[in-house]
Amino acid sequence: MAFYDGLFNALGLRDWCDQDATAAPMSMADLLKANRADAIDPKAEIFPFPSLDELNRACGQIGQTRDFTSGIENSFLAARSGLKAVLDPLTQPLSWALDGALYVFETTPWWIIVPLLVFFAWFVSRSFWVTVFVAASFLFLGAIDHLNVALQTLSIIFVCTGLSVLFGVPIGIAMSKSDRLQRALVPILDLLQTLPTFVYLIPLIFLFSVTESKLYGIAIILYAIVPVIRLTDLGIRLVDKDVLEAADAYGMNASQRLKKVELPLALPNIMAGVNQTIMMSLAMVVIASLVSAPGLGVLVLRGIRNLELGVGIVAGIGIVLLAVVLDRTSKAALSRVDKTNTKH
Amino acid sequence: MKIKYLGAASALALTLSTTSALAECGEVSITEMDWASASVVTSIANFLMTEGYGCDVTVVPTTTVPAITSVAETGEPDIITELWTSYTEVYEELRAEGKLVEMSKVLSDGGVEAWWIPDYLAEEYPELTTLEGIKANPELVGGRFQDCPTGWGCDVTNFNNFKAAGLGEAGIERFQHGSGETLAAAIAAAYEAREPWFGYYWAPTSVLGKYPMVEVKLPPYNAEAHICNGLEDCPTPTLSSYPAANVVTAVTSSFVDREPEVAELLKNMTFTNAQMGEVLAWQEGNNASNEEAAVYFLSTYPEVWGDWLNDEAKTNLAALLK
Repeated sequence: MAFYDGLFNALGLRDWCDQDATAAPMSMADLLKANRADAIDPKAEIFPFPSLDELNRACGQIGQTRDFTSGIENSFLAARSGLKAVLDPLTQPLSWALDGALYVFETTPWWIIVPLLVFFAWFVSRSFWVTVFVAASFLFLGAIDHLNVALQTLSIIFVCTGLSVLFGVPIGIAMSKSDRLQRALVPILDLLQTLPTFVYLIPLIFLFSVTESKLYGIAIILYAIVPVIRLTDLGIRLVDKDVLEAADAYGMNASQRLKKVELPLALPNIMAGVNQTIMMSLAMVVIASLVSAPGLGVLVLRGIRNLELGVGIVAGIGIVLLAVVLDRTSKAALSRVDKTNTKH
Repeated sequence: MKIKYLGAASALALTLSTTSALAECGEVSITEMDWASASVVTSIANFLMTEGYGCDVTVVPTTTVPAITSVAETGEPDIITELWTSYTEVYEELRAEGKLVEMSKVLSDGGVEAWWIPDYLAEEYPELTTLEGIKANPELVGGRFQDCPTGWGCDVTNFNNFKAAGLGEAGIERFQHGSGETLAAAIAAAYEAREPWFGYYWAPTSVLGKYPMVEVKLPPYNAEAHICNGLEDCPTPTLSSYPAANVVTAVTSSFVDREPEVAELLKNMTFTNAQMGEVLAWQEGNNASNEEAAVYFLSTYPEVWGDWLNDEAKTNLAALLK
């Protein structure tokens, strides 16, 4: 006797309800009742919420919640081949970029790649101490035999941040130009930052083969692209209205105004966004390793799984070191391009 | 407010009357591992202990390593069930120290670990059920051996078997998954698309219940070779099947002294792979929860679990045993 029986009887739906109805599998409460008539169901309520399961108990024609979830699953599986046909070729370059970068970072001998990276750090930061710190970090990682895994991680971050900036900055510019687009995109950005990664990773495995590197690439980019979009949008919107008026007075067209006024003035904010994007892609390294990304994340996972504390901590320190290296270098580069602070 | 109070009071009265009718049994904590068969076993044990023996059962959701670490350090929880002993070296130590007592092999046939291909692939190309067949046609299995994640016990063993079988030379790439979830999802995705798949998995699991697989034949289990294969730097990897994994229920020694009657029940509680496989297949077929699968077993096979109980518990559960 279910709570809502009376409702369906009163509506005259009893006959409809009972024709070829499918009952739910026996629940624990039913079993307890079958054993002792006076057994009380700890979950029983005086006035249960009219959920799908509760209504199904009174009327077999109404589907249960499990039918609802399996419906979502089936519609995803049905849409799969169509989605795959579109998304698979579209994202293929990501796999090539990730595999290519990994190949370059792994096969180049250390005595070429490390000086190159140190020179790159000097080139963008032009700071003696940052360069020394970067060099020392790589030497330390090499000394504890973690250079290769650290470089794998670094190659993934370079590709993912590069692509995030490539797509994020134009999206941010478009957002700053259109209030409607901003209103539409902000909830999506919020969603990307809060949705637990595995919720979209597991469906992605059904779309792409798990053996494809783009799987973790997508996971990292979706998460890390958000700050660069947000801060590009913010930076351009914060450009002084008087300056824009002056630009208009000089007769600049829209593209001149964007390139010569808005972007240079928004650059500090955009660079702060890039810095955040680098940090967030590094934060995703461990999660990406759950979908087979190589690098330091694999060692962290091994440490957790086998309670090998040392392995986990050393790999963790490696990640922190990479984070500090990337943060200092990009911050130094940021202060260098920050035109608003230059002395006239 | 009054109604609520009355309801609560009568509920309390009912609880008191029912518990007093049952035998003396105190608080019991039992693990619930995070895979389907283990959860079903825990639900069944929970039901029998609560309803048959009057225990106050706490279920602790956990996985193998944290559970056994917790027992080693704190002596809690009381009961660990569906423990795959081959992956917890400390288990034998804890047994030797007397901290843990093995009650039964809860899956009496033992767990099966093996290399598999999907059944549709085996039907189309029967030669793929042997290693020679796979080595001759690596492209038919997708050119990949899908292995378990780093840090799992099977990682090293599979890699040594992989080397011994010469799969690498045959043009098969060993792909290590990042997590158990993606390994399972890869099987499901291959099955949905009817694509080739070749890799490691274990049974009884709901994955293999839902997606039937055919075992790839390896040479029979060879204890010496298997031990060496388990070492990262095994000098001579030799092909060997996995032994039937020991899957046990174990309890702390203090628990045996405290609740001898319940310990007796746990000693009797075992499932054959056929029984467990049937329950898991029913569960997949009906989109049922783990608890409902336990209820399915309890309501369908009273003659099986009836034999596990002592006389008093049989009286308490008489209505279901009829």
